[in-house]
Amino acid sequence: MNTKRLILVSLLAFGALLLSACGGGQGVSNNWHGLAADAERAYVSNGTFVQAVDLETGREVWRYPAEADSKLMFYATPVLTPDGQLLIGSAGTKHPFVSLNPETGKEMWAESFTQNKGAWLASPLVLNDEIYAPNTDGFLYVIDMNGKQAADPIEIGGALWSAPVTDGNLIYVASLDHHLHIIDPASGTTTENIDLGGAVPSSPAIAAGGVYAGSFASTVEFIKNDGSHEVIAKTGDWIWGSPVLNNDALYYADLGGNIHSLDLASGNQNWNDLKPDGPIVAGLILVNDQIYVATEAGTLVAMDRDGKIVWEKTVGGRFYTTPVFAGDLILVAPYQADFVLAAYDVDGKQAWTFTPEK
Amino acid sequence: MWETIIIQPMTTLLLWIYDALGHGPHMFGLAIILFTILIKVITWPLNASQVKGAQAMQELQNDKEWQDIQKKYAKDREKLAQEQMRIYKERGINPFASCLPTLVQFPIIIGLYQSITRALSITPFDMLKLARTIYPFQNVEGIIPLNSTFLWMDLGRPESIQILGFGLPTLAIIVALTTYVQSKLTMPASSNPNDQSAQMTKMMSIYMPLMLGWFALNFASGIAVYFIISNLLGIVQYAATGRANWSNLFGGSKQPSSKK
Repeated sequence: MNTKRLILVSLLAFGALLLSACGGGQGVSNNWHGLAADAERAYVSNGTFVQAVDLETGREVWRYPAEADSKLMFYATPVLTPDGQLLIGSAGTKHPFVSLNPETGKEMWAESFTQNKGAWLASPLVLNDEIYAPNTDGFLYVIDMNGKQAADPIEIGGALWSAPVTDGNLIYVASLDHHLHIIDPASGTTTENIDLGGAVPSSPAIAAGGVYAGSFASTVEFIKNDGSHEVIAKTGDWIWGSPVLNNDALYYADLGGNIHSLDLASGNQNWNDLKPDGPIVAGLILVNDQIYVATEAGTLVAMDRDGKIVWEKTVGGRFYTTPVFAGDLILVAPYQADFVLAAYDVDGKQAWTFTPEK
Repeated sequence: MWETIIIQPMTTLLLWIYDALGHGPHMFGLAIILFTILIKVITWPLNASQVKGAQAMQELQNDKEWQDIQKKYAKDREKLAQEQMRIYKERGINPFASCLPTLVQFPIIIGLYQSITRALSITPFDMLKLARTIYPFQNVEGIIPLNSTFLWMDLGRPESIQILGFGLPTLAIIVALTTYVQSKLTMPASSNPNDQSAQMTKMMSIYMPLMLGWFALNFASGIAVYFIISNLLGIVQYAATGRANWSNLFGGSKQPSSKK
């Protein structure tokens, strides 16, 4: 092969390599972790594996599947059911929805409800012994606890990236189609579609008589269960993470990195001048009067309800996953860090980190 | 750097066109088509130089001095290459001029692919990157996520039409065909089997359709739409200038008219 030919073929191969590196295929090959926990274990979806980690030792208990399968990718937050299942769907090029035994990681059932058309990026909701599983194909799949389709899928419209929530009677589904959809599970029909002006990537917060939802329209709205709604706050940037409700205060953060506290009784801001070190994608959590927020800059911040920072820790990586409180520990799953999971006590002392073995 | 000079402007432009078109179903496909036309207009000088280079190479094949050195150094490839380079230099011919524009397409293709996947944001991670890509003056909250439907396709996914249970990748086939036709039309005729540039151009006319067809087969169909429109516009451009070498495609001795 002469030099020109070699150069030409090399250039073509390089081009192919560059484009290949961009991703491709029909599966989701890159996203941040999903994280859940019970009193004994943390469950982290870590791309090719779902891993259970012992809360006391920070050591791996099991992983699913036992061997990596490039067609299976797990990014959704696993969900524990009252009857002892751990549910999660794959976002890879194959899209089984899987039930695992949380103690052993053994597969209890796995079904493909979507004919591989849509990926599972969001967690399901379990209500009245039925699983409501939102998919990126815009359908909410209704599954019984044994993994059989219990009813026709409910067409929502728009990709579903967040878990539905319920007040016990109605189901609220946030969608990227800019709407919050209210579903009556008894009839399996949508009763209201409320336009929020922008994509709604995260679950709303349940309140008496309705829900609070933030959106890419940079607003927080209160949506009553009859479908009426009003904007109660505006922010300077997109709202990604779920708001948190505590008594008369609503806490939420935006991509600009601002954290807000809204007095729901008066409609006034309690405070909104708290801005840690980076954009905030993850949802906030509230534990014992302390609010925890994880920033994209890789910092975990604990603050009191008055917006005073109690402590902050540079953990590393980038936080997009909402922290989880379990067994007196704050669990965080940084993206692109040296470890997949880290545990802190409520005083900010690191208990352990978890790095999976290859 | 790549992000600032390629991805951000491309994504912004795609979103702007999509918004201007009314951001409904099929509009992102139309946005890609309009974007491709715009790219073709911008790269017009490059394409013109490709036509000029191909023409110069074609004329060189009939030049007596060129033919003489082919015969004289038929068994000394190194010397032949030296002499060819001398003639290229003396006559101001760039032997790569005919394939350079095709190679220049690569950054555009890669940038466009990244812009399409980012604009479509099928994953939260892509959406987050899109949020970073948007200029502060752009208000895109009302138009994202984009509607990725175009005709029968989902522009964010590879395309195929189910026929008797078999997924026929129609776009990939059309991409390969139009790339082949375009490269054949622009390929100068050469009577000398030892002509290296002719060999290279011929090789390009085989490799490029295969490679672009492979891209179209495996990646978002939005990129295949870009390839097809780009190829068709290229064919029209060559045909309009009267330099299209139809004999390469259909055989026979018809040569393009010589316009100077």
